[in-house]
Amino acid sequence: MNDRLSAQYWLHEKELTAYSSDAVRDRRRRAMELFEAKGFPSQRDEDWKYSSLKPVLSPHYALNSPCAALEDEHLEYADIKRFLVNELDAYRVVFLNGRYTSWLSDTTHQGFDVCTLSSAWKKYPETIERYFAQLTEDLGPLAQLNTALAWDGIYVVVPDNVVVDRPIQLLSFTSGSEPRAIQVRNLVVLGVNSQVEIIERHQSLSDQPTWTNSVDEAYLAEGAQLRWVKLQHDGPLASMTQHTRIQQDRSSRSQVHTISTGGRFIRNNLDIVLNGPGAEARMLGLTLGKGKQLVDHHTLVDHRAPNCISHENYKGIYDEGSKGVFNGRIYVHREAQKTDAYQQNANLVLHKTAEVNAKPQLEIFADDVRCSHGCTVGQLDEDALFYLRARGIREPEARAMLMLAFAEDALAGIDHPSLNAKLHKLIAGKLGVDLTLDL
Amino acid sequence: MSQDELLQEVTATDYKYGFYSDIETDRMDAGLSEDVIRRISAKKMEPQWMTEWRLEAYRIWLEMDEPDWANVNYQKVDFQAISYYAAPVKKQITSLDEVDPELLKTFEKLGISLNEQKRLSGVAMDIIVDSVSVATTFKKTLAEKGVIFCSMSEAIQEHPELVKKYLGTVIPRTDNYYAALNSAVFTDGSFCYIPKGVRCPMELSTYFRINEANTGQFERTLIVADEGSFVSYLEGCTAPQRDENQLHAAVVELVALDHAEIKYSTVQNWYPGDAEGKGGVYNFVTKRGICEAYAKISWTQVETGSAVTWKYPSCILKGDYSIGEFYSVALTNHHQQADTGTKMIHLGRNTKSTIISKGISAGQSHNSYRGLVRMGPRAENARNFSQCDSLLMGDRCGAHTFPYIEVKNSTARTEHEATTSKIGEDQIFYCQQRGLNMEAAIALIINGYAKEVLNQLPMEFAVEAQKLLAISLEGSVG
Amino acid sequence: MLEIRELYASIGEKEILRGVNLTVKPGEVHAIMGPNGSGKSTLSSVIAGREEYQVTSGDVLWDGKSILELAPEERAHLGLFLGFQYPVEIPGVSVSNFVKTALNAVRAARGEEALDASSMLKKMREALQLLEMDKGFLSRSLNEGFSGGEKKRNEIFQMAMLEPRLAILDETDSGLDIDALRIVAQGVNGLRSAKASFVVITHYQRLLDYIIPDVVHVLLNGRIVKVGDKSLAYALEERGYDWIKKEVE
Repeated sequence: MNDRLSAQYWLHEKELTAYSSDAVRDRRRRAMELFEAKGFPSQRDEDWKYSSLKPVLSPHYALNSPCAALEDEHLEYADIKRFLVNELDAYRVVFLNGRYTSWLSDTTHQGFDVCTLSSAWKKYPETIERYFAQLTEDLGPLAQLNTALAWDGIYVVVPDNVVVDRPIQLLSFTSGSEPRAIQVRNLVVLGVNSQVEIIERHQSLSDQPTWTNSVDEAYLAEGAQLRWVKLQHDGPLASMTQHTRIQQDRSSRSQVHTISTGGRFIRNNLDIVLNGPGAEARMLGLTLGKGKQLVDHHTLVDHRAPNCISHENYKGIYDEGSKGVFNGRIYVHREAQKTDAYQQNANLVLHKTAEVNAKPQLEIFADDVRCSHGCTVGQLDEDALFYLRARGIREPEARAMLMLAFAEDALAGIDHPSLNAKLHKLIAGKLGVDLTLDL
Repeated sequence: MSQDELLQEVTATDYKYGFYSDIETDRMDAGLSEDVIRRISAKKMEPQWMTEWRLEAYRIWLEMDEPDWANVNYQKVDFQAISYYAAPVKKQITSLDEVDPELLKTFEKLGISLNEQKRLSGVAMDIIVDSVSVATTFKKTLAEKGVIFCSMSEAIQEHPELVKKYLGTVIPRTDNYYAALNSAVFTDGSFCYIPKGVRCPMELSTYFRINEANTGQFERTLIVADEGSFVSYLEGCTAPQRDENQLHAAVVELVALDHAEIKYSTVQNWYPGDAEGKGGVYNFVTKRGICEAYAKISWTQVETGSAVTWKYPSCILKGDYSIGEFYSVALTNHHQQADTGTKMIHLGRNTKSTIISKGISAGQSHNSYRGLVRMGPRAENARNFSQCDSLLMGDRCGAHTFPYIEVKNSTARTEHEATTSKIGEDQIFYCQQRGLNMEAAIALIINGYAKEVLNQLPMEFAVEAQKLLAISLEGSVG
Repeated sequence: MLEIRELYASIGEKEILRGVNLTVKPGEVHAIMGPNGSGKSTLSSVIAGREEYQVTSGDVLWDGKSILELAPEERAHLGLFLGFQYPVEIPGVSVSNFVKTALNAVRAARGEEALDASSMLKKMREALQLLEMDKGFLSRSLNEGFSGGEKKRNEIFQMAMLEPRLAILDETDSGLDIDALRIVAQGVNGLRSAKASFVVITHYQRLLDYIIPDVVHVLLNGRIVKVGDKSLAYALEERGYDWIKKEVE
């Protein structure tokens, strides 16, 4: 696999870098060389202690040219309709097997850019040179692989003081009769006091194994606001590895929801770099694991400036056969006085074959800070269960009510009623809850 | 003077225990080889099986790499530059009167008058200087109850069946790099055996001291509490002030059989190095206990010394309903580095563990809590509660928390909490307004912060530990 | 015994005290009243030696000597006690341990011997009685989890233990119900003597029903703008501060 990926790059480097400056080409090259030197991470790496990539890497994935158009695959609106939040008036950027499908998309250049990276290489080379792969240099081999091979994804650039009027729905599909491995690369650049909201979903439509390796870079200038909902509700043969890195200037705000309810293997890395004083980050996560699922969340909040706030709350419910990993790291630099960092990770283990591994970490170099983390692994509160049953609610419903209540926290801050309803429906479905039991 | 300057002033203190005792020593040349190990074994007149056991450990050690995953940086140890045996010359002591007067002076300087201790607190003490046990008091009183408390060398001679049965069963020679090294070269340590159903009538205590330059201290402690017995064991450590680093790689094994309880308390005050980070002890210690059914092991530690500490007193909760506890205060100042914590391995049903860790970082030191709570598949209804707090003094130090939580049982519960704080200026001002000076205020607040842990120590030790915390931060107090 | 002369003080760039004058003689009880933000708490903090405040001019004299250069604990050793408006929580330090440490520090500074355990205990019991407090209170962590009333009583308890020559009570009445108020006042009155002086800082006159002041001062915008007797407090209660503001203008 390593060699094939390496070959994929060197064979297609010309196409990949056709519109790019030497600097950008060098970044891709360096990334490929780093990947070649390190290879895929193994469980000997502390960051991968609890998650083995082996099942992700074992299928024989079709590796075509990373940037040539696909001929044999086609999508119709009917195919994707059920994966959209239909009631939501949104920009839409749809990809199939890592390629843009314009006829299903609704992009814009009016006042701001909501379009694709594949078009931006040619159209906005300066912006690309300024931002592409500038946050990802020190990341692990998977992100390097993406930097080298990425061709498409969303490109969102918002000028100062502009509020993007509608949310952006990013949909990435995989399909076909053979295993597919795709790279998705998203670039988001927000000007001073600008605002944008992204709803992201990856979906496999095929009965073959798929692997999406995705990297997001987001730059928030002073006062900018970013909201991002990541919905990971993929099929049982789909794997996802993702690294999201958000860099925030003074007084900017980010809010990222990661809802992981499907897929076979999910590894999320979410890094927030708080670079300017007064920046704020909220990170919320909900994982529902069942069957042979593995969901691994790694988060990092890098407090580099004073008076920043980070608030993190990840919930997990693990049923039969599933495995969960949470590794949350808060790093507070010496300069970052008056940091207020909070991290909470709570897990329910429902079945004897389920497993949870957690490693919340604090690394603190400033003294005038308020940092705390909490982590629990346990079961539903038997007293609460009894209380509900004593009021006449049957046990399955009582359990469901408590689980929904437990999960609820992680959806806080999702304001669109239709999106909220959709997420509730998904969660209820996964938990086997009758939603007429609305809480 | 600003708050920061004051903090810096009160945290800049010298080591109180850094004297060197001029005692005649029988010292082996530096270096490590099979031959050296045979000579150590021969000097101690050990039986063949012991020599073989050591040599096997040495071979295992040769195959291992020094660990580098801990959050500490230091100049790696040159194992060939260390002398692996140094004993005060006059031995064969049966009563305190025969102890080398220089040594007694040493103890007085340490603030422990043996006679005093004997009379007042009824603590039985063993004293290990540079790896060799020099005095075990109270032997007779203990013997009446059938309690064996002696040096490890003596145990190998007198109670080989017990040593053979338990040595290396909790911490096998293959466990880790330093444990393997210790198994090969340990020269002494303490051995305790509490017979079935006996409640040890007094606290057992060992004082460790590294005296000679360029020697390593590799003591080996083994405590076996037979069914239904109870023992409380205390361990204290100091070392003289030296520019070069000294190595301390001890191994402590605890065995608590059914319904037995072992309470193990440590006040560790090895020389931490000077204010510039020169010298000091490398404290690479492996401590672990195993609990059979309904047994309990409780570790309490107050760690103020050593340049580098690498230490995770752990409990294997093998028996159903067994209990593990870990109470720790780790204070680092100047350039000290501590990476310490515990592992609670829950194997049996209804096992319970509690972890209370209080870190205090001052100067330019680094203080890490690293812990593992593991709920095995058979650990039905197992419970853990962990609380890891850090206190920072000044903005040049670091406080880190790395807890690992692994749950493979759907009826087990774990709860982990960690907070980081500093001593509030308003707290200091409040104390000052009531008449305390800055140093006293800090000492008071620190002791309050660490109270949950200090409360676990036996009375005499708690007082000493409180003073030690104050001294480590402030100097004149105490 | 306490004399404040033309005191100007600021925090950061902001000037809060603008020429305060105040003289307290032994045995006197002074009340300082004023609306929020008038500088009442700043005044008490400056007297007690809080470092965040800079004294830009003027002086604070104790028995005729300036104390502005003294550390907070040195002022406490002289016999100055500040009853905090918001007493600080110190986890793990019991009330008894704290008071014992404080009292012995003050005694040591005066060249007196530490109080032996039984005298200490006796003294604590008396102080507890005065404040109608339970013995269990002594073993609780200092102010941790205390109700508002308990915190204030704890302040008065400490005052009774330390027997200051001058006690400044900063809004000790705020957040107290009528029973707690009565008990706190009872504590203060029990300590009144020819030698002990009090400065009671308050927003309302109701505390002054229980602790009868000799002099009432009104602090407005960092200056004492009016001085009177007890009747001034009633006038303020009835008419508010506006009329004084107008009078000043």
